[in-house]
Amino acid sequence: MAEKVPVLSVQDVHKQFGDTPVLNGVSLDLFRGDIKVVIGPSGGGKSTLLHCINFLVKMDAGNIYLNDTRIDQSRKRELYAYRQKVGMIFQDFNLFDHLDALHNVMIGLVQVRKLPRSEARQRAEAELERVGLKDHMAKYPAELSGGQKQRVSIARALAMEPEVMLLDEPTSALDPELIGEVHEVIRAMAALGMTMLLVTHEIGFASTLAKEIYFMDGGRILEQGPPQKILFDAEQARTREFCSKIGRLNENSD
Amino acid sequence: MPEGIIVIGENLSYILGGLWVTVAVVGGALSMGLGLGLLLALGQVYGNRLLQRIVGVYVWFFRGIPLLVLLFIFYFGLLSALEIDLSPFTVSIVVLGLISSAYQSQIIRGAILSLPEGQFKAARSLGMSDTRAILFIILPQALRLSIPGWANEYTIIMKDSAVTYALGVTEILARSRHVAERTYQHFWIYILAGCIFLVLTYIGTKLLQRLEEKVRISGYAH
Amino acid sequence: MIEELLFIRQEVAPELIAGLWMSIQLIIPSAVCGLLIGIVIGTLRVYGSPGLKGFAGIYVLFFRGFPLLVQLYLWYFGLPRIGIYLSPFAASVIGFSLCSGAYQSEYIRGALQSIRKGQLLAAYSIGFSHTRAIFSILLPQAVRRALPGCGNELIYLIKYSSLAYMVTCIELTGKGSILANFHFKYLEIFIIVGAIYLLLVSVVSVGLNYLEDRIAVPGFDRPKI
Ligand SMILES: Nc1ncnc2c1ncn2[C@@H]1O[C@H](COP(=O)(O)OP(=O)(O)OP(=O)(O)O)[C@@H](O)[C@H]1O
Ligand SMILES: [Mg+2]
Repeated sequence: MAEKVPVLSVQDVHKQFGDTPVLNGVSLDLFRGDIKVVIGPSGGGKSTLLHCINFLVKMDAGNIYLNDTRIDQSRKRELYAYRQKVGMIFQDFNLFDHLDALHNVMIGLVQVRKLPRSEARQRAEAELERVGLKDHMAKYPAELSGGQKQRVSIARALAMEPEVMLLDEPTSALDPELIGEVHEVIRAMAALGMTMLLVTHEIGFASTLAKEIYFMDGGRILEQGPPQKILFDAEQARTREFCSKIGRLNENSD
Repeated sequence: MPEGIIVIGENLSYILGGLWVTVAVVGGALSMGLGLGLLLALGQVYGNRLLQRIVGVYVWFFRGIPLLVLLFIFYFGLLSALEIDLSPFTVSIVVLGLISSAYQSQIIRGAILSLPEGQFKAARSLGMSDTRAILFIILPQALRLSIPGWANEYTIIMKDSAVTYALGVTEILARSRHVAERTYQHFWIYILAGCIFLVLTYIGTKLLQRLEEKVRISGYAH
Repeated sequence: MIEELLFIRQEVAPELIAGLWMSIQLIIPSAVCGLLIGIVIGTLRVYGSPGLKGFAGIYVLFFRGFPLLVQLYLWYFGLPRIGIYLSPFAASVIGFSLCSGAYQSEYIRGALQSIRKGQLLAAYSIGFSHTRAIFSILLPQAVRRALPGCGNELIYLIKYSSLAYMVTCIELTGKGSILANFHFKYLEIFIIVGAIYLLLVSVVSVGLNYLEDRIAVPGFDRPKI
């Protein structure tokens, strides 16, 4: 295999809130088509990491490279262009409350990509159809179920034609019976070769998709490796403890 | 400025003498507003079409006409037309009370409507009459929920009570005006008057907050 | 009866219409200035530095806490003692604007605070700039949340404009009062005056309701006050 350049490269990210360090030097690389999963205990800094990668939270130190180009967040235009290339899915959806599903997807195309409205509408309709919401396009967030909201938010991110998707516990705010529909959409993205960094507690789902799992705790990546290794044969005691706990939880919930 | 302070010092007790008039007007109007407002709210929620209509018109009327104009209608207009003799003080209480009843009825109505429907059903399922259900199940809950609305209504009526000066009621603003005209310290005297009202609204709001905490049912979400 | 109507038409109506016109001239600039003040103060209370927040808080405390009539007296009778002379009209408009601004700011503040932080994060995450996020996401939501309260404040302003008469600005109530005293017809004239206010308030609230309906979106509660 020839030397490849990662699509997204995260290098030595540090972040502290007040006096509390939350990220203590996190690095990772995503190559085209990679699906990598981050697991770890609550408060370990997973959300903060994804927010830092998208510059939604200002990091204290560290660098982000997209296709080998360092992102300078003080250059606003570059930053906005970068964010379009890196889609972000939030735990609590964050659909725009005053817009219906269709316009949630359209607004980025119209305002940021400057597409003509008719073209934006067509694109948005296609994206919504892809996530199975053809019949719900005129509904407002308050009228959608959690699973539908999350699918709209995925369509909204996909409409910007991102090269990488960051997903922060996309199903943790959902009722169990709604998780499947979102997983299906993520699986479909995977099948199309989307590069993804996924934070989740759904270990079973994760291990069927992931090429590699990162175990994160105390603001560091403590261990990384293929799913089977991390889940059943981890080197660190901390990782084993977490995985056995979460494994039991998942069994119980079935 | 020192001169203003001296004048304030000399006349404070005279101005504060209007306190009881203000308190009596506000207290009277709020009590009258509560009694009437409660009846109006019940009429609007549980009454028949006609009653609901009448309450609706009443509320529209008293919320749509300025206090000053209502005071004039009642004091200069109605009293002489009906040949009744009432003091400006009494008329002020009545007019403020009527206005307040319109607003309070909507506070209480909102509270009643916000109660889950199951409350009424459960009461009926025990064999309670509708009247009993309203008295012992609905109102105790609805009145609790109304307290924040009342706190707001109290501050409004307190401030509006200054308008009764237009009929010559010798409340705080009237006495302040006397002093201001006499001493030519309008600026400081009116600041003082404003601050007295500020303190009065503050005290009342705090008392109502206390009441709200005291009658709070633990676990009752607002 | 015919005589009555003729009297009203010839003696009363022209005067009251002139008064109404004056009232409208008081209400419109006060409403506009009040809303602008409210937007500035409300925004400062949410996004301002600690110092500005404090200033805005004190502003609201005093201009909401003082009875409007006391404020009008302060501007009209109080300011001349420290060398500032205002016409009855100017004193009224200033008094209404400052007081209304304090109330409006509370609605603006509530609206801004009700917007969840994630709304802006989501906008940034698909490449919005700050300005664009404010105009396409923050403002449309804030306007919907603030409109019922701000509209209600406009209704109050219409009614409280009658207090201008107390500082000798002769608007609708003032004209009515003069007519009533002159003709000794208190009941009739004040009832007509009241009816005009009622009409004005009703028309404006129908307009506001229409506006709210036009921009209504599920999930944005419309508290009816
Ligand atoms: N804006 C903030 N201000 C202060 N502290 C914060 C902030 N955001 C996060 N933190 C803290 O940073 C730490 C890491 O939070 P983070 O949300 O990244 O954890 P997480 O791994 O995503 O947890 P979870 O699984 O619960 O989502 C926590 O201790 C949290 O309290
Ligand atoms: Mg998280």
